[in-house]
Amino acid sequence: MTHVVSIQGLSKSFGRIQALSNVSFDVPSHSIFGLLGPNGAGKTTLFSIIADFLKADAGRVEVLGIDTRNIWKLCGRLSILPQDARFQRNVPILEQLVFFQLLAGRTKQQAQEEVLQSLELVGLQSFAKRRVGSLSHGMVKRLEIAQAFLGSPEVILLDEPTAGLDPASARQIRDLVKQLQQSATIIVSSHNLDEIQELCDHVAILNLGSLVLSGSVDEITLADREYILFLSRPLQDTELQQLSSIDGVRSIQMPSHAGANHGKGSAEYLVRLNLSAEQVNQDGVLAAILRGVLDMGVTPRKLTEGRSLESQFLEVTGGQSSHP
Amino acid sequence: MKLKTITIGHVRLISLYWSRYAVRSGSGLVYLMIALIFGLSMAHILIMPVEQLIARQKREMGNADPQFIKKTIIDIGRPVIQFVFGQKTLEEIGQESMARQRSFRDKDGGPEDAAAGPNKDADIDPWITFLLEKRPALLSAIFMLLIFGMPFAISFLGYNQVSGDIQSHGLRYLLLRTERSSIYFGRFLGTVIFSTAVMAIIVVTITFYLGMKTRIYPAGALTLWALHGFLALSILMVPYIAVCSLISASVDSPFLSLVLAKVVIAGVLLMGLLGSIYWKPAKYLLYALPWGWQSNLLHPEPARCLLAALGCLVYAGFFLFLGYYHFERRDL
Repeated sequence: MTHVVSIQGLSKSFGRIQALSNVSFDVPSHSIFGLLGPNGAGKTTLFSIIADFLKADAGRVEVLGIDTRNIWKLCGRLSILPQDARFQRNVPILEQLVFFQLLAGRTKQQAQEEVLQSLELVGLQSFAKRRVGSLSHGMVKRLEIAQAFLGSPEVILLDEPTAGLDPASARQIRDLVKQLQQSATIIVSSHNLDEIQELCDHVAILNLGSLVLSGSVDEITLADREYILFLSRPLQDTELQQLSSIDGVRSIQMPSHAGANHGKGSAEYLVRLNLSAEQVNQDGVLAAILRGVLDMGVTPRKLTEGRSLESQFLEVTGGQSSHP
Repeated sequence: MKLKTITIGHVRLISLYWSRYAVRSGSGLVYLMIALIFGLSMAHILIMPVEQLIARQKREMGNADPQFIKKTIIDIGRPVIQFVFGQKTLEEIGQESMARQRSFRDKDGGPEDAAAGPNKDADIDPWITFLLEKRPALLSAIFMLLIFGMPFAISFLGYNQVSGDIQSHGLRYLLLRTERSSIYFGRFLGTVIFSTAVMAIIVVTITFYLGMKTRIYPAGALTLWALHGFLALSILMVPYIAVCSLISASVDSPFLSLVLAKVVIAGVLLMGLLGSIYWKPAKYLLYALPWGWQSNLLHPEPARCLLAALGCLVYAGFFLFLGYYHFERRDL
């Protein structure tokens, strides 16, 4: 199967508020798919409809070829880290998670083993017998992630998995998600665009309930043909023309706001390199550009691949939050 | 509407987990306390005069006369049962109780004086006769009071079957692990199990206390009637729990669910009773819930008893169906 999640013409409103409007996209198998959007864009609503917590007004969602209106057919195959869902505070962690696994048809011993493994993944094994009410916010978040990883789900929905986590825990969760990609398709929503760019291979961007962009991260960030080069001084027009004549270079631009002072007296100037998409040996082209720059007496400081997802995100969403 | 799918194993797991959780969450404990306080208080109010009479007889005559005690109990029990049947008001019962106490005080409560009481009413209802004379009267009176009062208390247990977890979104951890039907019916069943356990505790405590303190009824008769009363109370709670399930599945706030459950259960009774004073057909409102016929669970005719039990189950099924219909379609 090429696509494990297929969303077609999905619409949902809450009273007069149109939360989702005719959203359609597909999620490729074994991808880490990022769902982006400003606050109130409809990400959580979309997750909730995929998991059948909310009923769509129009459209349909298929997960693993099954219409999610028959969500019970996906028991054990689809899991979710929901946003704002609370565990029962006065019941020990172990008991709650074991109960989930008993529902999945495990014996009590199997369930306990799986739960402890899952808790170990998020560093909560030693807290297994504690009540949820006694955990810190970050620990509860890790517990929520542990329940999403229980069993062997084929599709995992993670609604802002690293929100509220310290940097080390967030890194641990990102590593875990990458490992799980081998066995599952993962859809992640996050406000952290660097995280999404690092983690995901496909993204969809929602704005005001509508899909504004969808595709692979490489396509969206033009990572296959656009580079940004940071230099020690600005280039003259003649120097730009000279570099543009290198075989495989489509254009080289120096934006008007290209100069940037990063403090401590060192300044950086950026140029945007646009290479031919069909150019096979991009490394060779880049090496030629860098040699040319050095020959001009300019020191290259940094080379980044593609535009940042953040710049694309701000461009398509207009840099606005849906809720001011 | 078709019931999409239900997994019996999940219903069993959820019901057991939920009945345990009812204790932990506090709502079960609150209900247990309220039910115990209500049940034991009612029992105490009815048993205490009998205990005092036995003690006085022993003090004055050396031992208690079981026949006289039984007749006194019938005197105490009759107005209680008449009240539950709607034959007497609380005011009339209060006046009779005062008169009885005066009689005991003035005439020193000799066996001959009191014995004249019970058979005064020649036209006594055969149902009341059955409850007071064919069955352990004290237990009958206590059961009648419990049948009347327990539906008010049950909402403390049933109000939060799903509404709290809808509000906190806690249900979302379950929704991808089992069907909505299994959650809904599992929690209903868990609540019924807990309620039945509480009824068992109350009935066993009252029966044991009554048996040990008064020693006027044969153990076998007392046990059999206690079993009947326990079954009647347990079955009676089922439709009221189902009403709570329906309300709990319809609102997001546990507090609102509790208030609505109280208003609906008490409101139907009040509107039926008060409304019928001004407009006779209003009494049929009592049949919106089992209020109108629930006393039949202690009827002398087994067929009427069974019909009442069946009625409880039919009502429960209706309310459950409505609740499930809504729960299956709503946003969670």
